[in-house]
Amino acid sequence: MSLFEKFELLSQSRKALGNHGPPPVATPFDSVNSPTRGVVGGREVLLAGTNNYLGLTFHPEVVTEAKAALDTLGSGTTGSRMANGSYVPHQQLEQELAAAFEWPSAMVFSTGYQANVGVMSSIVGTGETLLIDADSHASIYDGCRMSKAQTLTFRHNDPENLDRKLARLGEEAKKTLVVVEGLYSMLGDQPPLQEFVDVKNKHGAWLLVDEAHSFGVFGEKGLGLTESCGLLDEVDFIVGTFSKSLAGIGGFCVSPHPELDLLRLASRPYIFTASPSPAVIAGTRAALRLVVDGQALRAQLHRNIDRLYSGIRALGYELGSPTPGPVAAIILPDRESALGHWQALFNEGIYANLMIPPATPNGLCLLRLSLSAAHTDQDIDLIVEALGRVQGTHQQAIQA
Amino acid sequence: MDAKRAQVDNAITQALEATLPDQLDLDRNSPLSAASGLDSVQIMNLVMEIEDHLDISVPVDVLAEAQTLNELAERIVPLLTKEET
Repeated sequence: MSLFEKFELLSQSRKALGNHGPPPVATPFDSVNSPTRGVVGGREVLLAGTNNYLGLTFHPEVVTEAKAALDTLGSGTTGSRMANGSYVPHQQLEQELAAAFEWPSAMVFSTGYQANVGVMSSIVGTGETLLIDADSHASIYDGCRMSKAQTLTFRHNDPENLDRKLARLGEEAKKTLVVVEGLYSMLGDQPPLQEFVDVKNKHGAWLLVDEAHSFGVFGEKGLGLTESCGLLDEVDFIVGTFSKSLAGIGGFCVSPHPELDLLRLASRPYIFTASPSPAVIAGTRAALRLVVDGQALRAQLHRNIDRLYSGIRALGYELGSPTPGPVAAIILPDRESALGHWQALFNEGIYANLMIPPATPNGLCLLRLSLSAAHTDQDIDLIVEALGRVQGTHQQAIQA
Repeated sequence: MDAKRAQVDNAITQALEATLPDQLDLDRNSPLSAASGLDSVQIMNLVMEIEDHLDISVPVDVLAEAQTLNELAERIVPLLTKEET
């Protein structure tokens, strides 16, 4: 009897991915040389499977300010925000995030995962309810698990289903936090945010929007889907991450409610962990300025999105989202086809993401492509042309 | 209580027909994930269908505690009673 027996199914799933060439899951990178180029197994690849939406990871301001903080403040804080890990730059970043939203409160967490877990687990408690989209990210589910509130789900992107669930709660709806994401990372689809706002207002519920994948991408200041929909006055909390458009690692929560600050005394994932390193904070502060002033970067990203989506649609592939966005998820019929596409695309010199159950909604098998403002027209064309060749090879294999 | 249980069992059958038509003869005493090969998303879709049939909301932890469809049914019955009182 081994403690590891329970992992046998996972082990079999990993073996089924084969051992020829680089692994499609946890692919080891020899190096990453720019926002769009890396080296895997000695081979240069075009990166089309990162979350580097604005391509800021190598931006001179981000890198220079991170290096300067490393020199002046050292490699790590070695402590929690509650103890010795609150440096002035941590507080400045929080003030700058709050100022960007024109709200009074912001909290920085050490990862995006912890931001969701830290907020969800503490802000809603015994006798209250978390009502989350069924396709929510694992960090939202894990935050619910840690919370003492009851957790209910509603059908993905379905305001009518949310309406019914809130109606069943009656007066309890006023003590319910509804959670949606600004952009769902697997299929790349967006929520009908205005409709969700209307439903939560009808029942007097609270609303949190996780803008992990949409921050930097949507809105005049890049604050996310809520800003682009003109709904900043209608939400109670926005959670985000530093590890996508902000090109670092960490997470944040901002709110129009000044009481958010009280979570510093109650949120265990905030309290019982070391604060982000000074270099990460400095780089993120630089990236935040570039995001807020990043209208040109966003315009380039959206040109790339339109070019990729129209190219993929012309090939006849089914996409996970009806609305173009920075994630283009190609729906494939089964695991073998998805794995075959991933490997063939890699052989064409393009790194994408293989997404298979149980990580995907509705058991879908996906080849996930994600875009950056740093991609050129030629990069997008390379991706589409390679997909065309891969598609042709696969159709021949199916017909043979 | 028997009438409630029959109502829940019937809702499970209808939900299976709607979401997993090839699993209608699923052993309701066998572990959902291992024996039936269902993944967590399929199970959640099934539960959402059951919710619609019974006009109830099943908390996520109730779903996590139930290893089989019969265990799920046992845990749904009190919810049904609660909603109707």
